[in-house]
Amino acid sequence: MERVFIQGNEAVGEAALAAGCHAFFGYPITPQNETFEWFAQKFPKMGRAFVQAQSEVGAINMVYGAAATGKRVITSTSGPGWGLMQEGIANLCAAELPCVIVLVQRGGTPGAPSVQHAQADYFSATRGGGGSGYRNIVLAPASVQETYDLVQLAFYLADKYQNPVVILTDALIGHLMEPLELRELKFDSLPEKEWAVRGKGRQKDGRRRYVTFAAVVQGREPYPTMMSFAKHWSDKVEKMKSEVRVEMTQMDACKLWVVAYGYTARVSKEAVMEACAQGDKVGFIRPITLWPFPEKAIFEAIAKGAEKFLIVEDNIEGQMIEDVKNSVQGKTEVNHLGLFARHLPTPAGMILPHRVFEEIKRLLSKEHE
Amino acid sequence: MTQKVLVSGNPRLWNRSVGRYPYCPGCQHPLMERLLAEVIDELGIEDHAIGVTGVGCHARLCMPLDIDVVQVIHGRAADAATGIKHALNGEPIVFTIQGDGDCASIGSEGLLGACHRCERISIFMLNNTNYGTTGGQMGPTTLIGQKTTSTPEGRTESHGYPLHVPELVATMRGVCYAARGALTTPAQYQQTRKFIRKALKRQMNDVGMTFVEVLVACPANWRMKPVDSLKWIQEEVIKEFPLGEFKDVDRT
Amino acid sequence: MAAGEIVIDEKYCKGCGYCQVFCLLGCIVIAGEKVSPEGYLLPTFRDREKCKGCGICVQMCPEFAIGVYQIKTEQSQAKKARKSKHG
Repeated sequence: MERVFIQGNEAVGEAALAAGCHAFFGYPITPQNETFEWFAQKFPKMGRAFVQAQSEVGAINMVYGAAATGKRVITSTSGPGWGLMQEGIANLCAAELPCVIVLVQRGGTPGAPSVQHAQADYFSATRGGGGSGYRNIVLAPASVQETYDLVQLAFYLADKYQNPVVILTDALIGHLMEPLELRELKFDSLPEKEWAVRGKGRQKDGRRRYVTFAAVVQGREPYPTMMSFAKHWSDKVEKMKSEVRVEMTQMDACKLWVVAYGYTARVSKEAVMEACAQGDKVGFIRPITLWPFPEKAIFEAIAKGAEKFLIVEDNIEGQMIEDVKNSVQGKTEVNHLGLFARHLPTPAGMILPHRVFEEIKRLLSKEHE
Repeated sequence: MTQKVLVSGNPRLWNRSVGRYPYCPGCQHPLMERLLAEVIDELGIEDHAIGVTGVGCHARLCMPLDIDVVQVIHGRAADAATGIKHALNGEPIVFTIQGDGDCASIGSEGLLGACHRCERISIFMLNNTNYGTTGGQMGPTTLIGQKTTSTPEGRTESHGYPLHVPELVATMRGVCYAARGALTTPAQYQQTRKFIRKALKRQMNDVGMTFVEVLVACPANWRMKPVDSLKWIQEEVIKEFPLGEFKDVDRT
Repeated sequence: MAAGEIVIDEKYCKGCGYCQVFCLLGCIVIAGEKVSPEGYLLPTFRDREKCKGCGICVQMCPEFAIGVYQIKTEQSQAKKARKSKHG
């Protein structure tokens, strides 16, 4: 098996290749330009599609068109571009089109005023900013290998549910260079895309196809009414909720549990391990799917004696903390360690392991007050 | 002994039973369906044609046409068409049908992007000088002095001069064919048909981007009888938007 | 003897009047004689003898509501055969 030393952003490209992705449409934006440039260099030479769109609005709609043909398609962006893609994503959901969208978080607006790494797009990624409400599975890798593996999983889940899947990383995970094992992951087989548009002559039954985001259009079988589409969508969301993935340490009798995703998960895990090595009992939960959120892990932690949660999330107010609070339902204390814990007052500041360790110690000592 | 033979009726690729949008009396949007059904049949590309529509009165135009269709959101048909063409490695014949607002206002970004990237797609813009579906607001091609629901005193320069799209895209190197037709006389119908045929033929020959604008009547929002709306196109609209081919080259 | 005959599908006609405008021979008139169930004034196919079956009304009807038939009699078919023979 080939091993390479590569950065997270480029691992996205390798994973797309392994998953048989055929098209990339994107726009330059820091900090994902390495992903964009990987596709620019590799895809045309392989006879696959690469187009630099005139904006992210263009890119997401090119994704829509390409996804309608049944080909696997991917795009990549950061906060400002993600904002522009909202309408497109909402309608990819409405049209039931599979695709993978990589969101490499950076700050810049009040929730995290750093135009470098940040973790301030959680709300937008999990709740969706396009109109009328929709759901998409959100996968959050915390290493280069996991980025590579989860992007492949994303293509599979997108095809399985005919829905966009979002990969939420950040500038640090994107630029991290780590060894990567290049392996094509195997998934269950999926039915052929009978609904795809490719020219009537290429359809097995020779009949034409009609792909649209409108809930009810004659010719868009099999939804004769708005309610029938609504029922179908509701059932689909329930099924997607079964795709929860989480990393959780199995320690009993932990009063304090640390919850984090992405780069802060790497940082927090180190702090938790150090605390445990010193004899403290600290649990660790790393959501891998941010939606569906692993609420069962929170329930389990509470069953195992949790009295406090510490959410380490690099933004000002905390976003994932609200999902934790929803799951905790007031049964325990929920704390946030965020942007103000960075080691520098500049955009280059990071939340470092020793700072999380200090916070763990502080919270554990409070119980003795 | 006499024999009655049907010589002219609904085109072979047009099928009412699939479903049809209820257009206003005298709306000429459906004539685009007839034009496309005839030309696609003639060129023999029904198995390879993919139509892309957006949002507006034009949105459901391809429903009764027996070809593959993708409907995308307002203003984004050019981008979706680009995505389709690239994803299928340039094989299908991809065209868009858009209104004047969908194509030249909210869609201007996608239009210019497709033009300068020399995309091998054909963009067909139906120009009825207003946003029809939403009740007749000013569009990018509304005439100076024309009263609409957002220019109740008539359009003035402060709202902007009407946009001449085929003339504009003809200046771009990536565009190999740009024309404007109308449907107020049978002769114009035949001319417009020829433009559409030429545009699709250029795409079949992989030359460059092609664009055809078609002036169509909108009696409902122009507050005119259908017959008067045809006269208005002949007397006023064609003065502002002359018919003809603005670019016609074999290579870009 | 008429060379053509049109049939208007009154279920779909919306009384726009384009067929009257475009018929070169004045065979179709919106005469206010008939009204469709939806309240549209339907055209009347008058002056049937003049119809040549050119099909322009069909082409310009936005509702795809008209069909045109050519009426072939023994005489007209013989005339046609003579014409093609002489090239």
